Amino acid sequence: MRRACPHWSTALARPDILALALGWALAALPAAGNIAYVTNQNGGSVSILDLAAGTELAQVPLPGQPAGIAVAADGFFAVSPDTKSLRRFDAAGNETGQVALDGGPIGIAHDPLRGRVFVSDWYNARLWVVDAASMSLTGTLETGTAPAGLAVSPDGRWLASADKEAGQVSIFDLESLALAGTVPVGIRPFGLGFAPDGRLFVGNVGSNDVSVVDVAERHVLATLPVGDQPYGVAFARGRAFVTNQHADTVSVIDLGTLAPLGEIAVGEYPEGIDATADGATVVVANWFSNSVSLIDAETLAVTAEIATGDGPRAFGRFIAERGD
Amino acid sequence: MKLQGSLAALTAVAVMLPALALAHGPTRQKVDVTAELAAEPAEVWAVVGDFQDMGWHPAVHATTGEGGNTLDATRLLTLGAADGPTIAEELYKYDAGKMTYSYRITEVAVEVLPVTNYSAHLTVKPRAGGGSVVEWRGAFYRGYPNNDPPPELNDEAAIKAVTAVYEAGLSALVDRFGAP
Repeated sequence: MRRACPHWSTALARPDILALALGWALAALPAAGNIAYVTNQNGGSVSILDLAAGTELAQVPLPGQPAGIAVAADGFFAVSPDTKSLRRFDAAGNETGQVALDGGPIGIAHDPLRGRVFVSDWYNARLWVVDAASMSLTGTLETGTAPAGLAVSPDGRWLASADKEAGQVSIFDLESLALAGTVPVGIRPFGLGFAPDGRLFVGNVGSNDVSVVDVAERHVLATLPVGDQPYGVAFARGRAFVTNQHADTVSVIDLGTLAPLGEIAVGEYPEGIDATADGATVVVANWFSNSVSLIDAETLAVTAEIATGDGPRAFGRFIAERGD
Repeated sequence: MKLQGSLAALTAVAVMLPALALAHGPTRQKVDVTAELAAEPAEVWAVVGDFQDMGWHPAVHATTGEGGNTLDATRLLTLGAADGPTIAEELYKYDAGKMTYSYRITEVAVEVLPVTNYSAHLTVKPRAGGGSVVEWRGAFYRGYPNNDPPPELNDEAAIKAVTAVYEAGLSALVDRFGAP
């Protein structure tokens, strides 16, 4: 009888990944092109993936069971609920700062216009506001019960929080940080994302659907059935892509008609999802399978699978385009 | 599926638990246990593949349920004895061709199994060289949904308890079908 140790065994059993993990500091990072930063919650690390090459460039230790992730122009931020901390990294995965967040830090979003990072406090119905440059706590914002996923609108005007146990999203004005209002959505909203046109898509874990929200008017435009236990939302090529944790699939929705375009089979417990800036590729973190699946956003075919560390969550925006 | 900790400790825990039954801790855990059996997959699936009969597991005293092996079927496992603790579960995937099913717990006391938001897959596959491989995989959060859990409801306790359940079940299958 074989039992998989829920920690490092999966990565360490693979000589190639072990070599990368030990040698990451020596590697020439980052490569150019689309790079994915995948938080491995059970393994306690971040996998840095070259999406074009289909390889793991490095696996950087990141203690505290990291889940939330937000990429920035020159690096990324990651949230560790177990050590109650937010850490900042450069593009190669070297830590450049951290701040303690005493509560249940989980979701994260970055506002590059104002140099702020927002982190949800799962246990205390609030968001932390952190100055990205100094990595210091500058305030808190009150939400509904159990805030989880966070997202910043494409025009930089709004911040949205999925308040899971409240069954609502809270909308904040990013300029004033005032609460603009709340919108009731489905049952237990967790992940969410803004479409390029500014509509907010919210995955409701408990009602197996997605609420489409008009943020400025603060009402639900449509409720779309998806698969079992939807988690994250991403957008590419005029389509929304939603991970269904218990169905092991990604639901695809046409952004014009809001009609379902089908379900794509991926790995087990698909969670974090994001798209490359050119919209060509959608990447899904498969929490149980310890991999990411790459989806061609045009043909909807799965084109590659890349191994990660143990328990990839990648909860947030995790793909960045890097220069040479 | 044994009782965890002393009765006194359990009482204290029950008082501390908040009303949010669906809330959970920050980190989902996973357990993956496999066993190799001498019998061919079809023979093993005939025993473990009926969602309505978990009698192959030594901790299960009785299984009652509705819906057969169709989606959203339910079952209530009674553990140990006729008046033993129970676990309510529902089926959310079933594929006889691939010999796999997936289910989740809809109701269990954390004193019985210290987990929340539990789902699992049971799969029978052919073994290279003959016989079969049974894989039982679970995904769950710890029993205590808030920060700073007591030791009997932390991540390690949840992993330990689920692992013990899986190992007991798969050991019984090895006893029944033999090792290859």
